Amino acid sequence: MFGTGHFIRASLAAGAVLAAGAVAAQDFSGQTLVVGTWGGDIERLLKEHAAAPLEAATGAKVEFLLGGSGDRMSKIYAERQNPTMDATFQNIYEAPQLLADGLVVPPDPGSDMYKSVWEGMNEGCYAMSLVGLGIAYSKDLVSEPPEWADMWNPDYKGMIGMAPYPSSEGGGLLGVAARLEGTDEHDADAAFAKVAELGAPALVYTSLEEVFALMEAGEVAMAPMISGYVLAGLKEFPGIGFSFPTDPGPVLIRDMVCQVADSPNPELAEMFIGYALSAETQKAYAEEIYFGPTNSTVELSDAAAADTINSPDEVASLLQLDWSWLIEQRSDWTERWNKEILAQ
Amino acid sequence: MLAAKSARGLVAPAVLLTAGVFLAPFLLLLAMSLWSQPPGSLMLDVTPTGEHYRRITTDSYYMTGLARTIWLSLATTAICAALALPLAWWIVRRAGRFRGLVLAVVLIPMVCGALLPTLGIVNLIGPLGVLNGTLKSLGLIDRSWKLLGTQAGILIGLVHAFLPLMVLPLVAAMDRLPRDAEGAAMSLGARRRAVWTRIILPLCAPGLLAGSALVFCATLTAFVTPLILGQGKIPTFATMAYQQASLVLDWPFASALAVVMLAILAAIGALGWAIRQALPGAAR
Repeated sequence: MFGTGHFIRASLAAGAVLAAGAVAAQDFSGQTLVVGTWGGDIERLLKEHAAAPLEAATGAKVEFLLGGSGDRMSKIYAERQNPTMDATFQNIYEAPQLLADGLVVPPDPGSDMYKSVWEGMNEGCYAMSLVGLGIAYSKDLVSEPPEWADMWNPDYKGMIGMAPYPSSEGGGLLGVAARLEGTDEHDADAAFAKVAELGAPALVYTSLEEVFALMEAGEVAMAPMISGYVLAGLKEFPGIGFSFPTDPGPVLIRDMVCQVADSPNPELAEMFIGYALSAETQKAYAEEIYFGPTNSTVELSDAAAADTINSPDEVASLLQLDWSWLIEQRSDWTERWNKEILAQ
Repeated sequence: MLAAKSARGLVAPAVLLTAGVFLAPFLLLLAMSLWSQPPGSLMLDVTPTGEHYRRITTDSYYMTGLARTIWLSLATTAICAALALPLAWWIVRRAGRFRGLVLAVVLIPMVCGALLPTLGIVNLIGPLGVLNGTLKSLGLIDRSWKLLGTQAGILIGLVHAFLPLMVLPLVAAMDRLPRDAEGAAMSLGARRRAVWTRIILPLCAPGLLAGSALVFCATLTAFVTPLILGQGKIPTFATMAYQQASLVLDWPFASALAVVMLAILAAIGALGWAIRQALPGAAR
């Protein structure tokens, strides 16, 4: 069948090729594009699929600035008068704030790359990948893939691992807790009271390995975690499982790619973002690290499709939080998290 | 007079450089602690406000955090002093040709930064660490003994990290003691306890004071060790400031927390100076 969907995909692919041709006509030799992102697999994939073709097409150099997204937020605010970073990868918890403060270039609805992304995903910046907040669990301690409510089983009190707050994971857990109480994240009292019932976290984790090691040792039963990282790491930890709960569903979390406002190399930054959002890069993200593509033209292998969020239907089944509102609560909720969750 | 003027001229560039790169950030920190962020934004509003100081002094969470930080600093200082006194004495009087080697071992935590030793401590006292592994293999415990995420765990790390700051001044002070002072006191009938309390400790007081001030101040502002060993559950003033600066991105409030810490450090410095002046034999 060669239906409307295929026609749109073919048009977008043709647009990308034309854009690449236009890029090749320009020479940016001697210029260095600075891109802020996470290290490890993400850096490797971006080097292979975005930086290398951009360097070949333009003669420019791409330099990666590695670290956490919070560090990049700090850098962008500190350098707001004179930015040194051109493009940056942030999470959905941060991108709308950057746009609200005028520190990133708004996504252009008329651009091909904007249109290549699933509708409604470009919030603050361009949506780079889709992941869901689900539950990583110890197979020894939890017999079946758990639902969210199972975390509140008294047998597991004090055995739940949590990410530092503020974070997408922390905001997601509060949103889920509120839903379990029949309300939503706007009801902060209900959300915090419900999360507090879990007891003090068994571990405030900063890496997958420390959570998984403690799960295999029987010290941590479950932890709300982001699907991509966990699914990519499960091969090395056979005692760990990952559940996409259904009531409510996993929390939709997006990584975003942003063009820093008034950056030294705006054209290169836009081109880099184009390569990052290309079907090739997004397919590699999905096949290798289980980050679902936002590019609607990507076609995945059955294995990758099974473990990633890769269609509007799947996105619709996920729990979508009011991230803009959550971001506004960042300071107050951090204080509440410190007092009501950590200090138990 | 001409020489004095020339000396001032020679020193002036260094003073100006210090003022520029050292004092200016402190002034910016102080100014930022009086700024704020507009609602829904992380940008800075430079209209002066004392709101952050009001928040610190009226919210029990921050005052408890401050009290906890001071308590950890005092406890670390006391434990370091208790460990360093006999260790320094042994180094000065007994280590002989191993003195250099022992001092090098003592100094290791200082020269390799805070992160590596702290991660080493995690491997020792963590749920899957050497201590818990041994206790489990001996059948003494079923589940890990929780030291990470407790004040005890943080204290172990802080003492390990800052013991050298106590040992070094004490070694320097004990080196200056006359070798025969101990023997002279005992020949006059003093028991060993009296030798320590009436001869050695008073004569080492300047070293003990310097070491205590160093350990207290280093502990008060320590960040990596409480962050890692506290597992985010035991907030100290430094980790609170880190959270506000790097995660919440509320720089004005983080600055106010830092200014409070600096004020405490200044007070401790002034107290140390006053005590030093009051000690017998102090230069006046």
